[in-house]
Amino acid sequence: MSLHAQLALQLGSLDLEVTVDADEGETVAILGPNGAGKTTFLRVLAGLASIDRGVVVLDGAVLDDAGSVFVPPERRPIGVVFQDYLLFPHLSVLENVAFGLRSRGVGRAEARRAAADSLERLGLADRAASKPRQLSGGQSQRVALARAMATEPRLLLLDEPMAALDQSARGALRRELRAQLASFPGVRLLVTHDPLDAAALADRLVIIERGEIVQVGTFAEVAARPRSSYVAELVGVNLLQGVADGDHVRLPSGATLVAPEVVAGDVFAVVHPRSVALHREEPTGSPRNVAAGTVENVELLGDRVRIRVSGPVPLVAEVTPSAVSELGLVEGTPVWTAFKATDVTVFPR
Amino acid sequence: MPWLAVLIAFVGFAFIALPLIGLLLEVPWGSLRDDLTTPEAAAALRLSVVCSLWATALAVLFGVPLAWVLARVSFPGRSIVRALVLLPLVVPPVVGGVGLFYAFGRDGLVGQYLYDWFGIQLTFSTAGAVFAETFVAMPFLVITVEAALRSMDRRYEDAAATLGAQPLTVARRITLPLIAPGLVAGAALAWARALGEFGATITFAGNIQGRTQTTPLAVYLLLESKPDVAIGLSIVLLAVCVAVLALLRDRWLGVG
Amino acid sequence: MRKHLRFLIAVVALSGFVAAGCGRDSDADDNASSTTKQATTAVPAVTGNITVSAAASLTEAFTKIGEDFETANPDATTTFNFGSSGTLATQILQGAPADTFASADEDNMTKLVDASLVDGSPVVFATNKLAIVTKPGNPKNVKTLADLATAGIVSLCADTVPCGKYAAQILQTAGVTIPETSVTRGQDVKATLAAVTTGDAEAAIVYVTDAKSAGSAVDAVTIPDAENAIATYPIATLTASTNKEASKAFVDSVTSSKGQATLRSFGFLPPS
Repeated sequence: MSLHAQLALQLGSLDLEVTVDADEGETVAILGPNGAGKTTFLRVLAGLASIDRGVVVLDGAVLDDAGSVFVPPERRPIGVVFQDYLLFPHLSVLENVAFGLRSRGVGRAEARRAAADSLERLGLADRAASKPRQLSGGQSQRVALARAMATEPRLLLLDEPMAALDQSARGALRRELRAQLASFPGVRLLVTHDPLDAAALADRLVIIERGEIVQVGTFAEVAARPRSSYVAELVGVNLLQGVADGDHVRLPSGATLVAPEVVAGDVFAVVHPRSVALHREEPTGSPRNVAAGTVENVELLGDRVRIRVSGPVPLVAEVTPSAVSELGLVEGTPVWTAFKATDVTVFPR
Repeated sequence: MPWLAVLIAFVGFAFIALPLIGLLLEVPWGSLRDDLTTPEAAAALRLSVVCSLWATALAVLFGVPLAWVLARVSFPGRSIVRALVLLPLVVPPVVGGVGLFYAFGRDGLVGQYLYDWFGIQLTFSTAGAVFAETFVAMPFLVITVEAALRSMDRRYEDAAATLGAQPLTVARRITLPLIAPGLVAGAALAWARALGEFGATITFAGNIQGRTQTTPLAVYLLLESKPDVAIGLSIVLLAVCVAVLALLRDRWLGVG
Repeated sequence: MRKHLRFLIAVVALSGFVAAGCGRDSDADDNASSTTKQATTAVPAVTGNITVSAAASLTEAFTKIGEDFETANPDATTTFNFGSSGTLATQILQGAPADTFASADEDNMTKLVDASLVDGSPVVFATNKLAIVTKPGNPKNVKTLADLATAGIVSLCADTVPCGKYAAQILQTAGVTIPETSVTRGQDVKATLAAVTTGDAEAAIVYVTDAKSAGSAVDAVTIPDAENAIATYPIATLTASTNKEASKAFVDSVTSSKGQATLRSFGFLPPS
């Protein structure tokens, strides 16, 4: 069982052109900022939108070839968990889960029995007669998943599965969802803008920005070597671009970074904010990368402060609140950044 | 408290309430039972019930698909079609009756074929009264159902499709139940309107006791010869309409 | 700019109408003076407006008499309220502001007399008979009252309207019963007539005068005098009138030789 989607379509101001392959037993996460085209991609796979060019093939069967073949959603072997779950408000939880089976011709009694079984397995048997509005966020998510999986689809699509839940509930539910997904035998594709979802649930990431794929890989690979500022921001690191020559990297602003590797050509340079130190006066010491700048933004995040510094080497530095008050760092303060050459990771662009 | 607004509002309310109160005060409560069982009254009430229910059923049968097309299908001239469908709401009912005559009368556009080929004459018949009532009542149904269709979350229909439901199943198990409140409200309004129809009925279906003389027509004719019966019938109509409006929950009418 | 232009055109048009109206009055003035020159007795012209409530069957005849009245009395205007005599009588009983009442039967006038609403005594100014009218060409071949029983849908006035009462009378005398499901009732004689002229009714019983005024829109079938009824038309000034002088002048014009000639021309018969 596998999915092959090589497609292009235009929707309003969005030009989507992507190629995604996924195998059974694999969870692929499509990650990207809002408007990148990930929901559109999911709708295409679900048959709720059609493509202009390309092909969508599932288990060797063509679902959409941008021409004569278009299989409507009701005839695709898919299961979809929507962002707001979209549990039918006028049907009971049991009827919701049984809906897919009944729509495909299974008798009412049999469908209800199967639905009751899956609710039992989820520990929601006592909610079978409830209406969706009586469920908590987490319960709704589980019911939505049960409903989508009830028809034993070959492709499971999840649209922002955690988005409708409180932050506090997400941790535990993510673990549970991971277990559920692991037990699903087909192809699993989830769309999200939350990197924590991707980290916890996905085996492989596909990063989409402005309608095209900018990076693929495991979370660790992507985090270590982000190839776009979106990913860098997501992962929480500084990403700089420049031209390498030996152990120097020349940035567009003219400034130079010192890096440990020997590389040449166009490169990305990654520096973690934790590695960036701030000084009121030009420091002297071992760090090779020292630059002048101005404080642009001060943001308190829990017990840490992120400071955005503008200048020839634009960086985000992570320091303690006491450091901020000691140094008197506010917007507009002139400041020096410093980080060691060994804290820089350089890789080809 | 904006006293001026309250005062003007009270005047507006009095304007509507006073005629109803005036009518209530004239009701001959003592002879009401006898009045309503006279042959004219009994025939009129029976006809009103039969014709208005038929008219409501036809309004629903044709109005729901029409509302669906207006809400969901994009085609050139859609706003003109919608305006025409809603025309009976603003056109004087007698004018509507005249139009019905030229369309469905014995020599009418369509009526001539009904008569020549099938021997069907709609004018001066109970079916004609149903026609006239359907004509004025259907717009209420269409307008309410179209609004309900537009305001429902269509993603539920998407979800149903991804679960394997064919379009008819989606319509039956998802769309209709979700617009049910709007449908019921529209049908109730259509029924009340059909009950009260006068101008189109008297012009197209005529005024035949026992066949087309619905309650409003009977009231008009009896106002002189048997005013007590006329007022008794008026109160029955009023009571039915009040009951319909009271039973319609506020939220179905889009209020509160 | 366009807005101002439209306003100007409206003003010009309006003044045109006003001027035409004034012009008409001055023409009437000329006619009036020539009429008074020719008349053997000079009748002083009355002024003001009168509202005349009259039976529907009098529509055409009274409209003409009204025009002549206004010509003879240039400062007077007549406003007509045509309808079923029964409805009109009820309106007057409930205080409707009419100056003059002309009924198609004596019963309705008597109602007003009994309520002391009539000034002086009513005057019978015309009589009428009933006639059968059918669609042009008389497709159902209606020749007698008896034929109405099998003709299909027959339009009759409501039985509280004078022509309905007369129709019921002649049908009963002739021993003819039209099935109730074939009878459509009109609220006045003009509505009853309309069911045949612009409706699908096969025949109607209306006044001879209505048959005549419908012209080629219907075929008229004469009802023999022996089977027919005579409708008696009284007219009177009302006690609540605010212009009794003009009302009496109108009544006089109805009973005058000119008024009678007008009535005759529309098919009405003499008062006695």
